[in-house]
Amino acid sequence: MASVFLFQMQISLQQITPVFLEENKIAESAIWNKTMLFGKEERIHIIASSGRGKTSFMHFLYGLRNDYKGKILYNNEDISGFDKEKFSNWRRQHISIIFQDLRLFPEQTVLQNLEIKRLLSPYHSESKITAMAKRLGIENKLTKLCKTCSYGEQQRIAIIRSLQQPFDFLLLDEPFSHLDENNRKIAMELIEEECEARKASIILADLKLIEYFKADKIIYL
Amino acid sequence: MKLSFKHIAPFLNVFQNKSSRWLGYIGLGVGVLLLLCSIQMYININQLLKDKDPKKNGFDYISVTKTITNDNMGKDNHFTENDIEDIRSQPFIDGVAPLKSNSFKVMAGAGDVIPFSTYIFIESLDKDFIDTVPPNFTWQDGQAEVPIIFSSDFLEMYNVFAPGSNLPQISEKTAGSISIFLQCTGHNGERLFKARIVAFSDRVNSILVPENFLDELNKQLEGVDGINCSRVFIKTKDANNPQLLNYLEQKNYHVNKDKTKFGRVKQILQTIVGGLTGFGILIILLAMVLFSFYLQLMVARSKENLQLLLTLGYSPKWLSKTVAKKWTPVYIIVVLSALIITEIGQWSFQQFVLGDSEQLSPFINWTALLVAIILVLLCIIINYRLIKKLLNKL
Repeated sequence: MASVFLFQMQISLQQITPVFLEENKIAESAIWNKTMLFGKEERIHIIASSGRGKTSFMHFLYGLRNDYKGKILYNNEDISGFDKEKFSNWRRQHISIIFQDLRLFPEQTVLQNLEIKRLLSPYHSESKITAMAKRLGIENKLTKLCKTCSYGEQQRIAIIRSLQQPFDFLLLDEPFSHLDENNRKIAMELIEEECEARKASIILADLKLIEYFKADKIIYL
Repeated sequence: MKLSFKHIAPFLNVFQNKSSRWLGYIGLGVGVLLLLCSIQMYININQLLKDKDPKKNGFDYISVTKTITNDNMGKDNHFTENDIEDIRSQPFIDGVAPLKSNSFKVMAGAGDVIPFSTYIFIESLDKDFIDTVPPNFTWQDGQAEVPIIFSSDFLEMYNVFAPGSNLPQISEKTAGSISIFLQCTGHNGERLFKARIVAFSDRVNSILVPENFLDELNKQLEGVDGINCSRVFIKTKDANNPQLLNYLEQKNYHVNKDKTKFGRVKQILQTIVGGLTGFGILIILLAMVLFSFYLQLMVARSKENLQLLLTLGYSPKWLSKTVAKKWTPVYIIVVLSALIITEIGQWSFQQFVLGDSEQLSPFINWTALLVAIILVLLCIIINYRLIKKLLNKL
């Protein structure tokens, strides 16, 4: 199942506008209908209030939705032409995500949720999962069913899961919404470390500015 | 650790709905068993009836005579050239050949080996219509020895008659080595020949000599020049063709009904086996449909998990292959079991019904084996494509 894409990924946006968004919101946005390039080791902070298309934008970038005009390119390739097979190749090696709605397997244990991602394209050893879980304070939850964990714990599981693969881009959609201040900082530190090790870029979208995220660019959606 | 089915199994509802899964397996097994048994039975029937089969190159050869009734008794019941032409012109007849007969008297004896002599008849027939024609079945003017093709039935009759008349019974092999003396007498004189049986015919109930020999003697001894035949042989694709049977009945011609009856029995047997084959295929199809329902149900029940696996980066191709592979051993076991049962059936039939006869092999035919392999491959391919299609729809 391993496929090797030995290159650094870039994401280009070419005048993308969601087909469902009001004209005035598109006009006010620094992303919609603009052309821009996200390159190596960038820290992009996207800030937007509710209803501006923040989650839609992350889904567009990850290839989950295509209800937009314009083009999104992965290394000069228009992703609108990708099939499921091609997306799976990119998602295994180059792009990882933390969904706002987490998207975990509720009927499986925490460890199974993490292993199913790690085994797909192993970047860390199994023991690293335990170490990360310990760092984020959920090591005693590893054998529990995911549905029995609190939303905050599930958010930390989703963070650890996103770090189990190689990637050039990590997309974070309100990743700390249910975490307390202390856990947010610990989680952010872990994410920063993992991204630095991979020389990867982060695109973090949230409702307001997150001060402990050292962004290169702050873009208002 | 290599990613395999066991890692994704907890995320799929593969172990639910056991009843439809097992019904699928059983249905597939029964269907495959029926199909393999039918194929083997079809081959067995052909094998067992091969020796008695009147067909040669896909044709039936039947002997036709004019029916002798009280009205035509004593009249000339030979076939005329017009009669033969009329038969030849029929669309359901692919060929006709007269069985020319002797116009002179023939006395046959075997010297000291079989102290017995009798008047016989001799006939000649186009070689294409004879089932066994050895290369030495030829005669040239001046040749002292005449080759004979003898009816297998006549030899059998002789062997029944011989013990009661204090004559030795003889095998086909011995019969071929006996020197026969032919005394041919006509109005124009007498000729003596040596004769030897060079072959036996299952199809033609006669004593056949080369055509030019008979023509020559008919001419020399009786001055008869032309066709002199009381029966003809018809070559047809189907001796059971109703049109042919109607024509023969209408012309008041008599057919060797045993041969057409045999054709009918074989036809009925083959129809039954054909029906069983069709039934087997139908059951296999139903089992496959049932199994596809099970797969659809499994995918539908695991829809959210499968969607999430694809979202996380799992390849639809890998998932289809891995899930489909899970059932490969099951298919192999099901088809192998059907093959083993078929083999046991074939062996038992050969051993106990046919008494270890050499006519039939105790092993199943390679065709049945090939069909079994094709079925396994077909199941695997259909399974893979179906799962891939279902995953791509997600």
